[in-house]
Amino acid sequence: MDAQSRITGALEDSHRPRRSLSPLGPAGSFLAKLGRRGERVAEHAGQIALLAWGIISLTFTGKVSLREILRHVHWMGIQSLPIVLVTSTLAGVVTSQQGGYQFTGSVPLYILGSVVVSSVVLELGPVLTAVVLIGRVGARITAELGTMQVSEQIDALHSLGRDPVRVLAAPRVIAGALSFPVLVAIANTVGILAGMAAAQGTLGLSPQSFMYGAQLFWHNWDMFYSLAKGTTFGLVIPLIATHMGLVTRGGAEGVGRATTSAVVFMLLAVLFLDALFPPLLLQ
Amino acid sequence: MVEYEGVYKTFDAPVLAGVDLAIPQGETIAVVGHSGTGKSVLLKTTIGLIAPDRGDVRIDGESVVRARGKQLNRIRRKVGYVFQNAALFDSMNVLENVSQGIAEDELKRLPGPELLRRVSEALEHVNLDPRAVLTKLPSELSGGMRKRVGLARAIVGRPEILLYDEPVTGLDPVNGTVVHRLIAQLADEMGVTSIIVTHDIDGVLPIADRVAMLDKGTIRFVGTPDDFRNSDDILVRAFLHREVPTEELLEVV
Repeated sequence: MDAQSRITGALEDSHRPRRSLSPLGPAGSFLAKLGRRGERVAEHAGQIALLAWGIISLTFTGKVSLREILRHVHWMGIQSLPIVLVTSTLAGVVTSQQGGYQFTGSVPLYILGSVVVSSVVLELGPVLTAVVLIGRVGARITAELGTMQVSEQIDALHSLGRDPVRVLAAPRVIAGALSFPVLVAIANTVGILAGMAAAQGTLGLSPQSFMYGAQLFWHNWDMFYSLAKGTTFGLVIPLIATHMGLVTRGGAEGVGRATTSAVVFMLLAVLFLDALFPPLLLQ
Repeated sequence: MVEYEGVYKTFDAPVLAGVDLAIPQGETIAVVGHSGTGKSVLLKTTIGLIAPDRGDVRIDGESVVRARGKQLNRIRRKVGYVFQNAALFDSMNVLENVSQGIAEDELKRLPGPELLRRVSEALEHVNLDPRAVLTKLPSELSGGMRKRVGLARAIVGRPEILLYDEPVTGLDPVNGTVVHRLIAQLADEMGVTSIIVTHDIDGVLPIADRVAMLDKGTIRFVGTPDDFRNSDDILVRAFLHREVPTEELLEVV
């Protein structure tokens, strides 16, 4: 057999569907695959915990550059304001409109104030802000650090005696924890005002009636709850994003893969944590 | 003195399979070999960027493998590493990039004019005009200039050892010669130990004191450039003369 035939044969073999190698058949293969996936997730979780511990130690020993933190607060917080304002405005308007559609003719309309405020403060403000920031902040962090990893810039930091966790990860995570709750507070305020304006414009509900309804079921704890969510998401999103960036392998394709995985992990983490908040803080 | 003692490293397949090599202070050694023979991995084990599975790497008698934290950083300060694609920090200009080569404690204490003088001196050492490049970002530099800025970053901290990972890959022959001359000049002027991982055997033979050839993760040949040129080893001959693989050679490989 000549070399060309051998190469062609090998290529054909590589494209042929593989039979299950597990002695338990396809079910065994599926379980093995599931096990490997679980092992990888556990490995990531362990590495993220170590990264978090490293950042906590560096923060409390004052080894993180304040200038770097402020630089990241600027692009994560201030530069994210326009997209957060647009999202929260739309969330407030839509909640108000749909509430109006359901309540008209059945429930006193001033109740709409309570529905909009509760929906925005307890859920829409923090979660929608987090989702927007996963795309804007989280994906950028992973892509940036991933590119640094595959182009040996992280190795260069090590070789120059710099700690990438201190120089790259810690300022981003601290900046996230500082700026996200502020963005959530702004998103809540804008969402409520937009909902109030929409209720007046389309349902004829006056701001006074809207606010009367809002105060009926308002608890000051709700604002703390909302900001606690913002702070948690602000820690978790940059933490996952920096971890995924720092473990990127495999050139441009690897950066793309890491960024996609990071976005999925961040979304799942935010939704999972969001589900944990009510039983923990709303009892 | 840099010493590799029984260094083993396996990723998906064995890459280093027991490398033993000692490089005395002030020597320039070229590490050559076909692609995938573990040259860059060996270089990265030198400063602990990759940890060997077995064996030891020592710099001036101190184990890099066992060093952690401040001790590892102290060892790394003795070494300047020139990366294959320069690995300059994209968001920093040339001044900031090169100044990263200075130890952090020293950098904090250094007054602005002194820092500028140190960085300019390093840039002049690699034949770059500081006034023309200091404020430029890596993306605004040519490939050859980026390599030289990478070299300036490696020497600004006044290291005792310089590690070069494919220093002329991606450069045209003229720029390649310029970089090889710079390596020889730096070795002479600074008295540093130089370890050059390269495929460019023609360019590196005139500047190396010794040549080591890696094959299948072990040192297959080590000797002077003359010994290398006159070697009877089939792989050395093939590498040196870029021979088309024969059946005999394929059996060896």
